[in-house]
Amino acid sequence: MRVDPSAGLTPMLEVADISVRFGAVQALERVGLTIHRGEIVAIIGPNGAGKTTLLNVISGFYHPTEGRILFEGRDRTHLRPYDVAALGVARTFQNVALFKGMSVLDNIMTGRLLKMGGNVLLDALYWGPAKKQELEHRAFVERIIDFLEIEAIRKSPAGRLPYGLQKRVELARALAAEPKLLLLDEPMAGMNVEEKEDMCRFILGVNDEFGTTIALIEHDMSVVMDISDRVVALDYGRKIADGRPDEVRADQGVIDAYLGVAHA
Amino acid sequence: MLDLLYAVVVGPVKDMVGAPTFLAEVVIGGLAAGLMYSLVALGFVLIYKASGVFNFAQGVMVLFAALTLVGLMERGVPLVPALALTMLVMVALAFAIERVVLRPLVNQEQIILFMATIGLNFFLEGFGELAWGSNVKKLDVGIPDSSFMVWGIQINRLEMTAALTAAVLVAVMAVFFQRTRIGRALRAVADDHEAALSIGIPLNTIWIVVWSVAGLVAIVAGIMWGAKSGVQFSLSLIALKALPVLILGGFTSVPGAIVGGLIIGVGEKIAEVYWGPLVGGAIENWFAYVLALAFLLVRPQGLFGEKIIERV
Repeated sequence: MRVDPSAGLTPMLEVADISVRFGAVQALERVGLTIHRGEIVAIIGPNGAGKTTLLNVISGFYHPTEGRILFEGRDRTHLRPYDVAALGVARTFQNVALFKGMSVLDNIMTGRLLKMGGNVLLDALYWGPAKKQELEHRAFVERIIDFLEIEAIRKSPAGRLPYGLQKRVELARALAAEPKLLLLDEPMAGMNVEEKEDMCRFILGVNDEFGTTIALIEHDMSVVMDISDRVVALDYGRKIADGRPDEVRADQGVIDAYLGVAHA
Repeated sequence: MLDLLYAVVVGPVKDMVGAPTFLAEVVIGGLAAGLMYSLVALGFVLIYKASGVFNFAQGVMVLFAALTLVGLMERGVPLVPALALTMLVMVALAFAIERVVLRPLVNQEQIILFMATIGLNFFLEGFGELAWGSNVKKLDVGIPDSSFMVWGIQINRLEMTAALTAAVLVAVMAVFFQRTRIGRALRAVADDHEAALSIGIPLNTIWIVVWSVAGLVAIVAGIMWGAKSGVQFSLSLIALKALPVLILGGFTSVPGAIVGGLIIGVGEKIAEVYWGPLVGGAIENWFAYVLALAFLLVRPQGLFGEKIIERV
């Protein structure tokens, strides 16, 4: 679902004038950004620009010192990570955060936890329904496993997999939650060309098949140009560009930020 | 020199082989004691895994649970309702600890949480004695402290019941952890806090669950130890026996706590009976710690613990 960003779309997430300060460090300064339903938005910027901070604010790991966050029109600035997850926001981490001791299948199943209904304490006692529910969720998880082509490693402990596959499993776990908004923090870092191509294919596929809105942080510009509908550039905690990929690539401010200019 | 070698190496082995039924009795006694150590160690492991907190108050939780049970029974409540009430008290305690101790200290250094549990330790000790009195109490659960014979081996009824209960409890917990939704959530939290939060597991709920389970384990441990040696302050000191078990088995491993407990239990009984006389006895009191120290030198992460690899 490649969409024209200029067309009037429903906003899914609105980040309004967010500032985040850690002691004396201003990580984000009045950053505003809107992500529309069905879009793939790439967040780019040099190291230390505040990309991951922005993602952490959106997913509730950090709370902004100023500004507001609206998700589907409702204020959720101060929600905690698990509340954000319950709203339908899933994420992956820059340094893969898998449950290393658990199998790939179990890892992905944890992504379904929120979808599994019932009282937390009672459900341990209900053997019949709990088992049925488990099987239904298993079936859904198998679909994701097929989709991401990781059938062969189902039973392997996640911690023993090569890095590229771990990233794929992490994506699978995020997808298992059937998120409305998927946040990916450098999904292709440390991957070789083929792995990157696979990952691109999956990201586009997710967007296409499930209609998932995606925001991703990525350093590889060719990837960014290929898959995103819109690009947001950050530098020193400020937003310096926001627009179509080709516009942002041509933006003088962005070029300066990457190459560095003498600040007179 | 040869005499000494004989006394240390050959003599005890000869004694073991010479009287196999007696050896079996020693080993069974050791296994029974070991399962009880495992129970206490399990309480530590659960909380450490799920919240990274070394719960200094675990021993006192055992004492507090036993005190509450005995106190209720002394006031004329029959065993079963008293047990149910004690369980309620321990779950309520878990809620209170989460609200008053853990929640305000979330994201603090581990050492700060550890200090908080030391405070909790003193509070529970004082509160328990204030509520139920500090005299030594007898806990009678209706199982006689007598023995029966199987194939010429003497087995103590009370020890056997305790061991079986511990085994059942451990099995139930294993199923709970492996098969249920909450179990999976608990393992997820134990494995990676951040990732667990990102997939929508509320840490606070998980904390309440693990502290409740640790409280229930404390009740069982409290009953078993209390029935053997009376309910008194020294009950809280069995936490000290759980330490070598944890070092042996690894702080993060449930099977480790069980196997570690069994090794310590059997090891100290055998050492006491066969090697004790060489040094005038009373090995049992310190053998576990020496074993744990030796273990620390070879495998600091314990038998089943996660290997600590730091990238430099």
